[in-house]
Amino acid sequence: MIEAETNSEFEVGELLSMIDSGGPVLLLDVRNEEEQRAWPLEGRRPVKTIHLPYFEFIEAPDVATAKVPRYPGPIAVLCAKGGSSELVAALLRESGKPARNVAGGMVAYGEYLSPVQVPLDEGAASRFEIWQINRRGKGCLSYVVRAGGQAAVIDPSRRIDFYHAFVEGLGARIVWVVDTHIHADHVSGGAALARRAGAEYFVPTTETVATSHDTRRLSDGTVLQIGTSGISAEVLTTPGHTPESVCYLFAERYLFTGDTLFSDGIGRPDLGGHVEEWGRALYRSLHERLLGLSDRTLVLPAHYAGAVAINPDGTVTERLQKLRQRIPELQLRGQDEFIQALTSQMKPPPRHYQEIVKVNLGAAVALEEQVCEWELGRNQCAAGPVA
Amino acid sequence: MRKLDVRGAKCPIPIVKAKKELDQMAPGEQLEVLATDPGSVPDFQGWVKVNKKAALTSQRTEKDETGREIYVHLLERLA
Repeated sequence: MIEAETNSEFEVGELLSMIDSGGPVLLLDVRNEEEQRAWPLEGRRPVKTIHLPYFEFIEAPDVATAKVPRYPGPIAVLCAKGGSSELVAALLRESGKPARNVAGGMVAYGEYLSPVQVPLDEGAASRFEIWQINRRGKGCLSYVVRAGGQAAVIDPSRRIDFYHAFVEGLGARIVWVVDTHIHADHVSGGAALARRAGAEYFVPTTETVATSHDTRRLSDGTVLQIGTSGISAEVLTTPGHTPESVCYLFAERYLFTGDTLFSDGIGRPDLGGHVEEWGRALYRSLHERLLGLSDRTLVLPAHYAGAVAINPDGTVTERLQKLRQRIPELQLRGQDEFIQALTSQMKPPPRHYQEIVKVNLGAAVALEEQVCEWELGRNQCAAGPVA
Repeated sequence: MRKLDVRGAKCPIPIVKAKKELDQMAPGEQLEVLATDPGSVPDFQGWVKVNKKAALTSQRTEKDETGREIYVHLLERLA
């Protein structure tokens, strides 16, 4: 590889590692103001960021270049798709500033997947392992559970090559793939991944939520298994965020909660336009199904709101005991109070969520370019005001 | 009126080409830009704030025969 090329670009993962570790890097965001505000690039530590739209560099390159300060580390230039930032990075390098283009821009940031192994309790670690696949730009979490030579995948994004290679790297093969619900913020890779792996695909349905995917029906208490030693996952139906939402309880301890319960909040029940009905269902699901589980239950959610939710070990997980104390909505007693709290602070629905739901139900097909556009931005799946 | 077709192009191409075109235009002359990048809408708004020779007269969205959204930006060359 030519050295100049190596130094002229940042891969998203490399940039995030640098920000996470507090390394010296200056982020130059050249998107327009609206885009910058709506969706900033976020690492686990604050990063010095300056905003200077790329058209200022087109209009008056010398003036704009002079506005970028000297910095003791590299300048990472960021735009929506990596085109404008490439131009700006080249201009800066010409003026002697060590600028590197963030390859693929915010689209690449939104697609980037980072696996972290979830520490398991004594006794479990020798039988199976759980990997949390963090889609950092969107705050989406998916999972790989491996037991012996078999693996299950939960809530995969549409980058199915990643999961395929990752599971292969673990020396396992995928035996089943599940979604916790019909996602509204991103296109699921579930059906395609299962097809490619020759695995079964389970997606929950109800009388009103029908999918055209070839799938087996999941009912409350259905048990799925992986591995020859028989790690079981029990299906808990938890309607509320959506009517078909379920949680999967692995080995009676590890609870994959989808968008029902997060480590920093609860799912929003308003996306179907039946906030009262779905909200009451959510209250019952939380109180009657989830909060009665053991204190030690480890909650493994499908989303998180911001990098502050990432634990020091890199995972986004929490014990149920902590969540009972931490999440204000869980302390509300009575459905009326709960509904009132939820409806008093609703944010707008995710853009394009209706189109995304159609694709996830198998009722529509979308072009890659279209999906890219739909999925821009962080997830908006939690109840509560705009973060 | 001049026309600039940058459908399918991603930023910075729409702005780079619009600027090139505008530099050759006489004051009062108009330029219609057809783009498919949704980011071009706020980008043209931001760009005319720093380019003193261009005014953004209007922006509208149309659909082409395939249902694809086309963003139409109407610019005028100032003195």
